[in-house]
Amino acid sequence: MTQTHPPIESIVLSTLRQLGEDFDLPALREVNLSTPLFGEGGALDSMSLVHLIADLEEAVSESSGKTVILADERAMSARQSPFRTPETLIAAIHERL
Amino acid sequence: MSASNQLPASLIITGSRKGLGRALAEYYLQLGWQVAGCSRDTSDLEHPDYRHYCLDVADEVAVSQMVSSVQREWGNLYGLINNAGIASMNHAVLTPAATFNRILATNTTGSFLFCREFAKRLRRESSGRIINFSTVAEPLCLEGESAYAASKAAVESLTRILAREFAPFSITVNAIGPTPIDTDLLRGVPKPKLDDLLRRQAIPRMGTIADLCNATDFFLRTQSDFITGQVLYLGGVSA
Repeated sequence: MTQTHPPIESIVLSTLRQLGEDFDLPALREVNLSTPLFGEGGALDSMSLVHLIADLEEAVSESSGKTVILADERAMSARQSPFRTPETLIAAIHERL
Repeated sequence: MSASNQLPASLIITGSRKGLGRALAEYYLQLGWQVAGCSRDTSDLEHPDYRHYCLDVADEVAVSQMVSSVQREWGNLYGLINNAGIASMNHAVLTPAATFNRILATNTTGSFLFCREFAKRLRRESSGRIINFSTVAEPLCLEGESAYAASKAAVESLTRILAREFAPFSITVNAIGPTPIDTDLLRGVPKPKLDDLLRRQAIPRMGTIADLCNATDFFLRTQSDFITGQVLYLGGVSA
């Protein structure tokens, strides 16, 4: 079972809030763990998803000292995208750390 | 001051241990740039503004770590010259799959990974320059170079598509197709074959490092921000 580490949760949520400000995405200003991100009803278009993934990889690397590639084959071939909500993103990061 | 009219910043040059990569590294160091290079083996290039990373350019994590490290140390990353490349000149019938895959991994996957990681780091900056390396062997369809030319054809395609994908990040992506220049890569090419190749150029002579630096300078210039997705062949070769 994946344990939720507050630092990763905090990194994901703060990265999303910052992205919301940078790209004027109102849905991300009050983001919570179940906010739809990518896919049906999601707040992100493909370009903001690109920025999110790159921002998160950088932030996680700074925080943990480990290199994480989020857009890997596992993520791209998964039946359900790990980029659906902050919660699934957090789980995906933990799986790769 | 650089001849490129770009204030010296930092630059990544892959395959910088020897050959063209080494010459480019020395050229830009002499102009005041900070240069980060890489190769599988260690380098004897010593300069206060040079950092060398030992890695395989097809190793995704190692490439990511290198680009991060360069950006973290210098913070002014501006250019990427994807020079690392290997060749194996042989008839297709005599080319093992392992050789073909190795050439694709270094020349194509390596270029792709560096482009991707560079774009990740520079997407919020106001400008960036990527220069990929192709070859005149691609438009000239040189016999005996199927694996090498195919890997570079893929690099040209990457160049054109990434030019569009990275345009919103103000990163230009271009490629240079050098003619033969006297380096290790030419070792083993029979002289008659080389002479035949030179005859197919509009200007039938060997290229020089200065010819190459002239082209990299052009793409690195700040004024070249409207030039992207182009493949520039030297010596008057055209696709």
